[in-house]
Amino acid sequence: MQALDKKIQRLLLQVQKPARYTGNEWNAYRKDHRDDLVKMVLAFPDLYEVGMSNQGVKILYESVNKRPGMLMERVFAPASDMENLMRSHDLPLFALESKKPLSEFDLIGFSLQYELSYTNVLNMLDLAGIPIYAGERGEADPLIVGGGPCAFNPEPLAPFFDLFVLGESEEYLPEMLAVLGNLKKEKIGRSELISRLSEQEGVYVPSFYEPVYKAGKLCALKRTGDRVPEVIYKRMVHDLDSAPYPTSPVVPYLQAIHDRAVVELFRGCSRGCRFCQAGYIFRPVRRRSRRRIIETAKQQIAATGYEELSLASLSSTDYPGLEELIGELDQALAGEQVKCNLPSLRLDSYSIKLADRLHRGRRSKLTFAPEAATERLRKVIRKNISEAEIFSALNDAVEAGWQGFKLYFMIGLPTERVEDVEAIVDLCQRIRQHFRHKAGSRIDISVSVSTFVPKAHTPFQWEPQLLLPMVTERQEILQKGFKKMPGVDLSWHDAETSFLEAVFARGDRRLAPALERAWSLGCRFDGWTENFSMPLWQQAFQETGIEPGDFAWRRFEYDDFLPWDHLHCGIEKEVLIREHQKAFACSEARPGAS
Amino acid sequence: MTRIRFRFARYDSLKNISHLDMMRLFQRALRRSGLPLVFSEGYNPHLRFNLAAPMPVNVTASEEYGEVFLAQEVTPDQFISALTEQLPKGLIVTGAFGVDRDEPSLPALVSAALYRAKPVAEPGCRVEPKDYREALERLLARQELLVPKTSKKRKKKEQVNVRPYIFEAYFKDAEDDRSLELYMLLQSGSRGGVSPFVVIEQLKKELRSDCNHKAHWELHREKLYQEQNQFLQPLSEGM
Repeated sequence: MQALDKKIQRLLLQVQKPARYTGNEWNAYRKDHRDDLVKMVLAFPDLYEVGMSNQGVKILYESVNKRPGMLMERVFAPASDMENLMRSHDLPLFALESKKPLSEFDLIGFSLQYELSYTNVLNMLDLAGIPIYAGERGEADPLIVGGGPCAFNPEPLAPFFDLFVLGESEEYLPEMLAVLGNLKKEKIGRSELISRLSEQEGVYVPSFYEPVYKAGKLCALKRTGDRVPEVIYKRMVHDLDSAPYPTSPVVPYLQAIHDRAVVELFRGCSRGCRFCQAGYIFRPVRRRSRRRIIETAKQQIAATGYEELSLASLSSTDYPGLEELIGELDQALAGEQVKCNLPSLRLDSYSIKLADRLHRGRRSKLTFAPEAATERLRKVIRKNISEAEIFSALNDAVEAGWQGFKLYFMIGLPTERVEDVEAIVDLCQRIRQHFRHKAGSRIDISVSVSTFVPKAHTPFQWEPQLLLPMVTERQEILQKGFKKMPGVDLSWHDAETSFLEAVFARGDRRLAPALERAWSLGCRFDGWTENFSMPLWQQAFQETGIEPGDFAWRRFEYDDFLPWDHLHCGIEKEVLIREHQKAFACSEARPGAS
Repeated sequence: MTRIRFRFARYDSLKNISHLDMMRLFQRALRRSGLPLVFSEGYNPHLRFNLAAPMPVNVTASEEYGEVFLAQEVTPDQFISALTEQLPKGLIVTGAFGVDRDEPSLPALVSAALYRAKPVAEPGCRVEPKDYREALERLLARQELLVPKTSKKRKKKEQVNVRPYIFEAYFKDAEDDRSLELYMLLQSGSRGGVSPFVVIEQLKKELRSDCNHKAHWELHREKLYQEQNQFLQPLSEGM
């Protein structure tokens, strides 16, 4: 170990941001690697500063490490400079806490947050010296487990994982590790171990299912045995107050993207926006009590010294009694000089009032997500807010002293027409004109436009993504429209990365060889524009005989088998069908699926 | 209100972090410590805390200074124990003392720093003392050492002559083996300066290309200096 540590130190002299790889942060656990402990690494397939901003990582880290008999360390995807050095010096991927190679752990759990991190997953396994295909792993190799939102359609990753855990793991993961500890004592073989774990609810072992294809389409995932469950139900926490939640989160040295104390107000979202996967897979809404929120906030601030506290959730202003909560928090944290903030503000007067109360300092820009610029399209996606409400909320914000807005929109939404895209330009123009004389000076507007990606377990799961050339065309409408508009700054997501995201979000196991090929061609960090290479991906698809458009642009029919049909997120398919039909009823456009 | 200066050392396990990381680390440690901190007035109150000089990444140090304002009287011993409790492995507070409230700020004092750099040969390579000594002689004989400097305001690349910032540089044989130690006294602080890494890069250029000199450098900052009556004095408790 000492030798590895020294070797690492030497390489760190040559890399950008060496603190990505040193660990040793405040509140990090250092447990001895005793033989009787179950040892897990939580692997986040992106950079340290991204992974350390993820609340799930922090929740799981403490939920496992607070328990005796088990330990969890962390690892993040090394940046390319570090990867090159590790490869040329034969240094295996190591865990931050102990600097031990990943291969010495019992289990590696990948946090699967977005599809564009999949090449990093393969790369990390390879750097760890672990065979990337589950079928090629031996008795001594760690179990490779996936979890997080992408585990709700993990099929493109199926051959690389021993098992997936569906749903929320903060209560289940320690339980599973305890079971693993007991099974380890029995000294049973790897396949028996996986099979025993698969008896637990929420555990999906992809190798127990055989895909059946007909006419180029996936039509079933056949069980390979009678004891294999037909449907896997997600795990979830029932009572947030009694569920584990971080009280002393790790404080990174490097500035993480979100570097602050975070207390989650509630899980799930009652809004039901039809494009939003989180809104569906985290149902139902479960609230944390005001008392528990305040207690946790106090503990976190005392244990970290953070200067900022975020009251997080999918739609924080929906928390009942939020004003009382903020008042009580103010008292509880009096004298600590802690700034509170509410992410995900809704466009309504109530939200502005709260933001006004919380926000100290210069009021540069307030962020909102209208998502669509016409009322018709907002109804289709169920973002029910009228234009009058938008203007009245923005008015309040300007009166409270904000000097600009950041507005998020999506293009390529189902039923979208060119007029809906032009309406984005038009709406921003009208906002600009409306406030021309009101704000002290001109207000600044940033417009950020992403491309809609249909996701599994949402009412839009049957819908195809808008064809790539049409996405580009619509982006050009925006670029042209905003070109002549001073004070408005447009940014947009690269159309090709969104296309790739859709391919994997709707894909099945046939994509696995293309993924492997892309990785071996050098694809990494595909979600980072500066790293993404469409030509390499095209080569990978071509060489593996995959037509990616067949996945991104396919319209599923209601009676088609979906690659995630065996995974149950808690919402019945009938509910999604009903919502899908309602969406089209809102529009004059003809329904897509029949 | 009182003002406390403290001295600290940074060891290997924390040498990989940047100056901004260090600032955050200390500020959060102070916030956890329960000491009676003072914040600036205004919209965005910040902790009244400072470090004497930014420490480059990958450099250890033995005599660094920081200072903080406190709302109530706290003895140096109380201060040291409260802060030490909140510091990670790799940072050690070695002293603290009160200073007058209207003393100039700590960063304004610093005008030079002494570094010790040790070349450690890569496997299969050898550090040849003679080559290094000759290279250093050639380096110091130059009137001008132009290095590129990217100006933040203009994108245009500028060249800066860093030679005047090298006050002194000499090799001293290390006691333990035949390897070398380079001592560099470099200008540092608000009136400009040069990073020890830049000097080492320049030194490498002076090495004759026929010798195999692949090495990495271990850097340590020994002391910080202030200017007093045109002489450099180490920063110390008496300042």
